[in-house]
Amino acid sequence: MSVYALNKLCHRLLRDLDFRAAMQRDPASAIAEYPLTPEERATLLAGDVARLYEMGVHPFILSFLTRYEICGLTTDVYSERIREAHDPR
Amino acid sequence: MAEIVSAFGVSHSPHAPEAVRKANGDHPLVPLYERVAQAVTETKPDVLIMFDCDHFSTFFLDNWPIFAIGIADKIAGPNDGTVMPRYDLKGHAPLATHIREHCVRSGFDLTLLQDFEVDHSIVVPLHFMPPTQSIPVIPIFINGFVPPLPSAERCHALGEAVQAAVELFPQPLRIGVMASGQFSLEIGGPKVRPGGRQGVPDPDWGVHVTDLLREGRNDAVVAEATFPRLQKAGNIGGELLNWIALLGAIGNSKASWVVSQRAEGDGFAVWQ
Repeated sequence: MSVYALNKLCHRLLRDLDFRAAMQRDPASAIAEYPLTPEERATLLAGDVARLYEMGVHPFILSFLTRYEICGLTTDVYSERIREAHDPR
Repeated sequence: MAEIVSAFGVSHSPHAPEAVRKANGDHPLVPLYERVAQAVTETKPDVLIMFDCDHFSTFFLDNWPIFAIGIADKIAGPNDGTVMPRYDLKGHAPLATHIREHCVRSGFDLTLLQDFEVDHSIVVPLHFMPPTQSIPVIPIFINGFVPPLPSAERCHALGEAVQAAVELFPQPLRIGVMASGQFSLEIGGPKVRPGGRQGVPDPDWGVHVTDLLREGRNDAVVAEATFPRLQKAGNIGGELLNWIALLGAIGNSKASWVVSQRAEGDGFAVWQ
């Protein structure tokens, strides 16, 4: 059920400037207290947006990761990876 | 009795205010919004009812309504960091309260929203249409983004219920109805364009929808807008539901003016 936590985490980047900066600087520390499974944590830190999408993170919210280039997700990298995602529905 | 005197369909890209500013106003969107604003000026609505989808700005997944209505005297925005001026709009609490009561009695359980701000999808169109900025606004939110979406038929019927509510309002107000939304757009999902974080996966769909509106085939728009069809147009394709609610509110009228921007996946229209 922690897909909700992933959605909330990505959404927080929009308005919480301190959190955004922390995620840009050291994402592993910034998410240390988040209630994520080990798989979710590793997937996020790897910037594996296709897998995050398949887990159920909403794509509009997921794209905040690339808006602020978190976890190496430049627009090019994000685009290339998300285009490989399978629709979970 | 109040009555619906005009209706307007617009898009609302959050990038538009900066793009137009940087182009010193020399931008294809400017004449489109001007044409819609002209119709607002000509038809003199006292209140604007805006059908809109919230982009996780006013609501979040902890509390996500299928339909909601904003009942307030003041409504400010944008609340999503869109680079544009901030607007303090007027609401119209008495009419919004009346619409909600009528809709709930008619089987449309509109979530009540009283202390809120709105995102770019409300304020971007108003930004480009100065005559609208002093008109009280009633936002009606439709879930166009988080499956399961309400059906097109249900959104059309919501529009009909809103129209019936307007006609029962005792004050002789002139009402404009606005739909804010894209026809085809993918943000952050697998159908983004290569090298981008968004894209227009189905530009022909927008052209087709505007063709139907031009011909007055409003029923066909409703019938064709199934969930798979909307998703084929992108994960923002559900914003067409705002236009469909508008069609419910105005009946079988043919658009007096409608254009599509094929490559942008959007369109603009006026019913007056």
